[in-house]
Amino acid sequence: MSIRLSRRKTLILSAAGAVSLGTRLAAQQEGLRLAFIPQENPDKLLGDVAAITGWLADQIGVPVEGFVTIDHAAAVEALRNGDADISFMGALPFVLAEAEIGAVPLLSEVYRGAPSYTGRIFVRRDSGIEMLADLRGKDIAFADPISESGYLYPLAEFVEAGLVAGPGDADAFFGRIFFAGGYQQAMQAMAEGLVDAAGASQYADLLLTPQQQAEVIWIAESEPIPSHVVIARPELDADLRSRFVDAMMRLNEAGNRDLLRYLYGPDGYVRADPAAYDGVRDMARRHGLLG
Amino acid sequence: MIRKLLGFVIFSLAGAMVSFGPAIATPAKEVPWLPDTAAYRLTLFLGNLEPLPWDDVEAAWSEPYRNSEFSADALTWLGEKSDIETGPLLDAMARRDRQSLFAAATRLIALRIEEELGRALDVDDAASAQQAVRTARELYRAFADGVAAADPEASRRIGLAWLELNSSTGSAGVLGAGTTPPDRETMVTARAVISDYLAENYLVDDFALRQQLSPLPETALLSGRDIEVPPSLPPGSDIFDQDPLPLLVLNFEAQGIDETDLPLVAYGDMLFDSAQIFGSPARDLGIACSTCHNRSDVNQRLFIPGASHQPGAIDVDGAFFNPIFNDRRDDPLDIPSLRGLRFTGPYGRDGRFASLRDFTRNVIVNEFGGSEPTPFMLDALIAYMLEFDFLPNSMLTRDGRLTDAASEPARRGEAIFTRPFEGLGDRSCASCHVPDGNFLDRQAHNIGSASPPYEGARASAFDTPTLLGTAYTAPYFHDGSLPTLAAVVDWFDETKSLGLTDAERSDLTAYLEAVGSADEPYETFDAKNTSFRLAFSELTTFASTLDTLLPRRDAEHILLLTDTVAADLSADASTMSNLAGRPEVYALAERLAQVGSAVRAGDWETAEAHWTAFRDAADTIEERAF
Repeated sequence: MSIRLSRRKTLILSAAGAVSLGTRLAAQQEGLRLAFIPQENPDKLLGDVAAITGWLADQIGVPVEGFVTIDHAAAVEALRNGDADISFMGALPFVLAEAEIGAVPLLSEVYRGAPSYTGRIFVRRDSGIEMLADLRGKDIAFADPISESGYLYPLAEFVEAGLVAGPGDADAFFGRIFFAGGYQQAMQAMAEGLVDAAGASQYADLLLTPQQQAEVIWIAESEPIPSHVVIARPELDADLRSRFVDAMMRLNEAGNRDLLRYLYGPDGYVRADPAAYDGVRDMARRHGLLG
Repeated sequence: MIRKLLGFVIFSLAGAMVSFGPAIATPAKEVPWLPDTAAYRLTLFLGNLEPLPWDDVEAAWSEPYRNSEFSADALTWLGEKSDIETGPLLDAMARRDRQSLFAAATRLIALRIEEELGRALDVDDAASAQQAVRTARELYRAFADGVAAADPEASRRIGLAWLELNSSTGSAGVLGAGTTPPDRETMVTARAVISDYLAENYLVDDFALRQQLSPLPETALLSGRDIEVPPSLPPGSDIFDQDPLPLLVLNFEAQGIDETDLPLVAYGDMLFDSAQIFGSPARDLGIACSTCHNRSDVNQRLFIPGASHQPGAIDVDGAFFNPIFNDRRDDPLDIPSLRGLRFTGPYGRDGRFASLRDFTRNVIVNEFGGSEPTPFMLDALIAYMLEFDFLPNSMLTRDGRLTDAASEPARRGEAIFTRPFEGLGDRSCASCHVPDGNFLDRQAHNIGSASPPYEGARASAFDTPTLLGTAYTAPYFHDGSLPTLAAVVDWFDETKSLGLTDAERSDLTAYLEAVGSADEPYETFDAKNTSFRLAFSELTTFASTLDTLLPRRDAEHILLLTDTVAADLSADASTMSNLAGRPEVYALAERLAQVGSAVRAGDWETAEAHWTAFRDAADTIEERAF
């Protein structure tokens, strides 16, 4: 499989060096370039990038530059051609990037004590739905067709339960399948009664109002999904890579924890275990995303 | 996608939109509003204030809304993202024409939705189409609660259309894998559902006259039906508790007396946290006494556009809370601390109420539009508030002198504080802030901190405020115009010609900081001693008053309690760190609601049984309540 980049993405990438801190790099190995992927608001991310790269430069002792890419594909392309040394990435795009360019996992994000989370199937408490089989012929909203916890892993629970034959056969079991565009939209659709169930991250009910939270329950939970990962291009100098990882691990110290909010807000980082992504690799293969 | 979620959760609890329904005192963090949508909602909110704050309306479009994640203001944002003309909007604002403003702003947002929907259909790549649909949907949020209130069926139809649209837009996949093409036919059909409704209701050439600006659809308004859109606060509002949370010092508690043995006080404590005692909109928004007076102190972050001129200030006799009590004066006050309340009368910034009971009734009935409180409710509230103590401060003796724990500069400042000055009429600072009288004199003085409201007015005197605990209650003066205690010293030095040297000003500031200090000013939380544990402990204490109220068959006050506490307990569960413990807390809240249901039905035996079950369950859960 190859990474296909549209011309538009490439243009945005080349113009995306909006944030830099310290001396502009004279040569690649004199510093680090970090690629960030926006979530909701790229505007806010720019300020966060400036804050964290400044701290990292002090810690590592080399200039650190950060830039915002349009999406995962642009970040991987930047790693491939050396425009970026390090990138923040989801587990699924990482395993694809690993296969494509040999990307190396360095650090995993920790939330609520674990470098993993799960996907769940949520329903309204008063719906009478108690198990996955009760959803036969009913409507469900997932977050997005390439979301680990918002589609791939929750759907696997239906396969595991023998209700759905495989990734391509879900239509035969459900009434309608919607992709709502995100956890929050999927959960809202379920809470408001537009659909009967939602497949989303284990924490997605926290995106509902407090009253709605009391009105929903979950009836199935997926196996653990590795959380987001910080990855490097394979050629990155080993010493620099090691100093970067050491600096990032210092974010776990009490005095530095405030800085985590500039990095997508995890509770901390652990050194990544490449084997932890085997499940994601298998999942990607089953869905035909990985050869 | 975990990031997208946890990015919200990390700040506190997250919520989808403003909380509607039963009044609870747990605000939900909102998903950020787009700049143009935020400006529209601010326009609706401000447009209902009387007199209409036109400068604020203009600022809503020309400045980023407060705490916005976007650096751009709405007009700049529109300039960058849209081809829609803003001329009609600017013209309406220039002419200060409220109806035209409503019409232009409403059409602008509707056109923006149409613009993004058009983009979603025009672009070739799925990622851009998805983004356009997302933006359109975020814009539609401007009208969503109006549609839901007026026409649930249409609301559902449109909700499904958004789902259809998003699902049929295709997927860009991940790194080029797993792409799916758009289903244009379905997209067009789904878009039509949304566009047709907009055309009929929000893209109207000549809107009917709005008495009240709201997102209600035009057809609903023309129907003449009486439809109420649930009240909401506009973007930029903040009614969360301040962080760090002030420490509450209750006299009885510090003496080791258990609140559950003081049912009147415990009931008053509940009322202090209950939005039910107020009228709408405060009640529907979950605003209680404790929203402004966190743990008997202040809330430095509280902000409501049009009612607050800065954080920590609010105009409680403006147009928003109780229109009949609107004094038509833009005079927000810095929220005063209630610590040591029994020593600080008379009440109100200018001491207008000699009686705390009269003051409290005025807050409930006039300022916040509540029903007349029963004598029992007033007794309870006052019994509770009279327990508010000042924060212990080991730098002060009982008669208000500095101890050896205070710094040298503070001790030098103490001498300045008690020195008479010509500019103070040969009085000293201590003449009014009497050290052995809790640093106040219970009198109102006109020190020139406010401009006279009209020529010849003698109406700008304010009660001498205590200096105790003030290190944590910035800003200062009735309107919060001075940001620091140092600024207060500078103000007196300059306006009263005290002639202090720089060193003396610094020493006097050190003294004020020492007097205003506390050994423990804030609540401390850790992994298990969480803010939810504190809430759980409080709410179960409130419920303990049922031991007194059930035998008295006091249905009115029982129902006020169960309605408040059951809803709060359930809502507060969303703030738990121990997520696995939530179902137990929901069940507990339901048990308390069942006490209320049984009392409503006049079935006292069942009510007693549910109350016993609640008590037993609460004891069992307590350990996991964090």
